[in-house]
Amino acid sequence: MLDYDLLKRLCTCCGISGDEGQVRSLIINEIRPFADELSVDNLGNILVLKKGRKRPGKKLLISAHMDEVGFIVTHITGDGLLKFDCVGGINDSAAFSKNVFVGKDKVPGVVCAKPLHLLKADEKKKNPPIKDLLIDIGAESLDEAAMYVSCGDSIVFDTMYENKDGRVISKAIDDRFGCLVLIELIKSELEYDTWFSFVVQEEVGLRGAKCAAFTVAPDCALVIEATTAADVPYSEEENCVCHVGGGAVVTFMDRSTIYDREYYLTAWEMARELGIKVQTKTRIAGGNDAGAIHSSRGGVRTLALSVPCRYLHAGASLASTEDMEAVYALAKAVAGKIQTL
Amino acid sequence: MKTILKKLCADRGVSGSETELLPVIRDLIGDIAQITTDNSGNIIASMGTHNTDKHILIDAHIDRIGLTVTYINDKGFVKAEPVGGIDLRSLPGSTVKILGSEETTGVICTMPPHLSDGDELSRDRIWIDTGLPAEQVKKQVSLGDKAVLCSSFRELIGNKIASSALDNRSGCAVLIRCARLLENETLPCRVSFVFSSQEETGELGAGTSAFSLEPDEAVVIDVGFASQEGVPPEKSGKLGCGGIISISPVLSKQVTDKLIDLAARLSMKYDFEVCGGSTGTNADRISASRGGVRTGVISVPCKNMHTTTEIVSLDDMERLSELLKLYIMEGGACNA
Repeated sequence: MLDYDLLKRLCTCCGISGDEGQVRSLIINEIRPFADELSVDNLGNILVLKKGRKRPGKKLLISAHMDEVGFIVTHITGDGLLKFDCVGGINDSAAFSKNVFVGKDKVPGVVCAKPLHLLKADEKKKNPPIKDLLIDIGAESLDEAAMYVSCGDSIVFDTMYENKDGRVISKAIDDRFGCLVLIELIKSELEYDTWFSFVVQEEVGLRGAKCAAFTVAPDCALVIEATTAADVPYSEEENCVCHVGGGAVVTFMDRSTIYDREYYLTAWEMARELGIKVQTKTRIAGGNDAGAIHSSRGGVRTLALSVPCRYLHAGASLASTEDMEAVYALAKAVAGKIQTL
Repeated sequence: MKTILKKLCADRGVSGSETELLPVIRDLIGDIAQITTDNSGNIIASMGTHNTDKHILIDAHIDRIGLTVTYINDKGFVKAEPVGGIDLRSLPGSTVKILGSEETTGVICTMPPHLSDGDELSRDRIWIDTGLPAEQVKKQVSLGDKAVLCSSFRELIGNKIASSALDNRSGCAVLIRCARLLENETLPCRVSFVFSSQEETGELGAGTSAFSLEPDEAVVIDVGFASQEGVPPEKSGKLGCGGIISISPVLSKQVTDKLIDLAARLSMKYDFEVCGGSTGTNADRISASRGGVRTGVISVPCKNMHTTTEIVSLDDMERLSELLKLYIMEGGACNA
């Protein structure tokens, strides 16, 4: 079984894009005794070599991103309220009335707008745009606020973490789950030498992965992600993308990548052989670091395995531990296999 | 005050289920007041002497807004509808606790940005996702169970608190604090502190308790709009201003003037909220109970009302408790 205590520690770390330091420290502490080579590059990516029993024919890179979506302080008003911008894609509906932490001292704040009782009828039916929202930390003036926070401070959701009855509710499952899988692989015995990258800045344009892939220069790559499941009651079946509880998601194509066909079919075959539950995405939606990795240097054959996750990029996302186990089992099997293809 | 408020901001006590808070009230003032409940779910704490003609009712509604379960589909998703005027904008992606045979955590369904640019907000489209299999959900959750939005009790800068349910658990905390301030005093009158039910769904408890208790006069403590973006200054009081005293045609001028006079004697700062008609609080019901009750309203300024992230100032609550104490010690506004 995966180390869910570690998943909790990973998910509760604060680490929006560009501010992944806390996640990085946690990961390095976990993997250092198991890594044969470990370095941190100029962007903050962690690059790791873990030796296996054999030298592989192909150089494999397994990658997950450390950053999460959140917000950044852009301005402090005269009344001591904070204006902010999104870091990564966040819907207007996800921000209003949520608890957040601001800055490295984790100053508690709440996201607010004009109160309900004073709204016009049409204003009650939709969420206020994020540009009209403010964060209140209790300060009453610019000077008071400036004692606690500054422009450029990171803002993360303050959400409960619950792992009960086979499902996890937390912020940042995208992609601390991927980080967990990589850590578990590094801690395990591997068939072949394998490279790993824990990358920065996925949510703002797949930037860390681009540089990591250049440096490692792999022949093939495996991206471990959390992908969007829209299987909610008001979503039509063909628009659900994938289902929580439906198993590991093996993607043939998304908005960033057309995945290597042979790898895609191999993953399905391995899953059938090992009795691992799998599904694919039924909509060409989302994208991930594979977009940067498969086009690196002269091209990298790439596959993505994801855990289906509802409410991605909101304060509280939800995923199943059974699906998580399926992704890990399949990743372990596929990693060994594609190095021989 | 913070400890009192934190205990009161429990996840329980959605409109219609107020007596769930009975143990909390007993714990806070059971040693100094006689605590009873009635048919409508009001919790009443009586203090003072019964040997006088004078009976003052101090009201704060104890119910909180929430959701109630109306349907469970075959995949285990739970459909819910609002209890009280919940701010629908605060729902998408929020965590909730369903208060069934077992507490069950869920998330309110929302569409991710990869597929949609936002949710259509409607009270007919609230689905809770517990992530559990349908059989288990049906074991733990029944139709009619209440649910509350989770929001931890958080301290902000400047002695302020952010939490859900501050409307009107902060008013209840003022009552509790006032009762504690009175514990060693000899009261000149009978006082009924009413933690009233179902304000958010139509002020039921205030109506029935005022009828049963037959007070001579009443003071209602609720939350009022605190100044913030989009709130006109004439409709609000500043957070930390001390408190809000309401002036309205439906309120007793004697009670209101007395409150203003006492605030001055305490050198207490306050803001006014002036309404041209009814107040939108329990006072509207109490003042017209039986043959009429002289009623005043004071409020705790509150930001972000009816969201999971309401904000109040503990300083305001402390000042209002002192004001109420003095009001009671003076035997109210209208000494015969």
